Amino acid sequence: MMHTRYSRQILFAPIGEAGQKKLMRASVLIVGAGALGSWAIDMLARAGVGKMKIVDRDYVEESNLQRQQLYSMKDVEQKLPKAVAAKARVLQINPSVEIEEYVMHADASNLEPLVQSVDLILDGTDNFDTRFLINDLAVLHKKPWIFGACLGSYGSTLTVIPGVTPCLQCLIRSVPMQTMTCDSMGIISPAVGQVVVHQVTEAIKILLGQTDALRNTYLYFDLWNHEQMSIKISKAKMEDCVTCGTVPTYPFLQFENQTKTSVLCGRDTVQIRPPQALSFSTEEIVKRLTELSYHVSDYRHLITGEKDNEKLVIFPDGRMLLHGTKDIEKGKAIFQKIFL
Amino acid sequence: MVKILWFAHLSEAVGKRELEIEVAGMTVAALKKQLQEQYPDLVLEHVLTAVNEEYVADDMVLDNGDVVAFIPPVSGG
Repeated sequence: MMHTRYSRQILFAPIGEAGQKKLMRASVLIVGAGALGSWAIDMLARAGVGKMKIVDRDYVEESNLQRQQLYSMKDVEQKLPKAVAAKARVLQINPSVEIEEYVMHADASNLEPLVQSVDLILDGTDNFDTRFLINDLAVLHKKPWIFGACLGSYGSTLTVIPGVTPCLQCLIRSVPMQTMTCDSMGIISPAVGQVVVHQVTEAIKILLGQTDALRNTYLYFDLWNHEQMSIKISKAKMEDCVTCGTVPTYPFLQFENQTKTSVLCGRDTVQIRPPQALSFSTEEIVKRLTELSYHVSDYRHLITGEKDNEKLVIFPDGRMLLHGTKDIEKGKAIFQKIFL
Repeated sequence: MVKILWFAHLSEAVGKRELEIEVAGMTVAALKKQLQEQYPDLVLEHVLTAVNEEYVADDMVLDNGDVVAFIPPVSGG
């Protein structure tokens, strides 16, 4: 069984039978199952990584299909959360992979136990706030993580080994403003793939314990203009780094609880999260929306409501997405009307 | 002379992909300041700076023949 499925990978000398066994015992956390995440999950599943924990807050939409290779029209029609759709697809590809799916907005408290429970974290996010949060948690718990990002025809990736390499915070000392997103610039799927091939290759090296083979650079490329820069980072580790320096403060574990609202990348959508997890049943949410004269549909994993120009989605944990706006105050007002 | 390479949207703000400039002896921080004054659309606040393909901090002093690359962080995914 193992020999048939993984035969070509076992023939690859740095992996071999021993390496394949290591991969099958390994566990990886993938934060974000959008473009980067879905490519990475597909590759890791085919490679035979034993266990994956997948975190994603969103559901599949038609505009995702151009580059998010795990998903299909059927997922769009069923409005499946990406983590749920990803699990279903992985089980079709390789049923021996164990998947835990988490439909939620990643924050310090829900991500920390997941970080502690895996061998490695792979970045599939679309925003720097979550990346800096992963960076803090990974360094705190001494777990390797692999940054990846893409936009247009550009991409970047960095492998962080706590205690050995510089961390994201050493290189980028504050959260960059989100001036460029897939909203305004678009993206081609080869840029996604190019980031992920580097991420997954580095991930496999780490899972096999072959850290000598790691790249040790910050990699940047622009596929359209045939440019690539692989920057050496051996001198970039900062003694005074707030995350991996001598006196760490882990800033993203401190302030995180204050950010309960956000604008989603490339979605013209705001997200409102309740201060604590709400314990409304699906029936109660449907009833409440109906009373407020929304046209309601129950898609099992989420509920949609439509009224005039308002299109909203509510997840079982009380998280709400309001489409067609970047106005967080408007989102908060609607959220309060529904839940208070 | 020091050669500067612009990546991603930075080349649009400057209107070219490369620039040669007489700044030997200057720190990276001073170079960034001078360039931002010269090109008002240029935002260098969060860029990664590499000199001769190695990451450097803002206090690094530039030398003749150095190749400086400014790489803006990419955010999507």
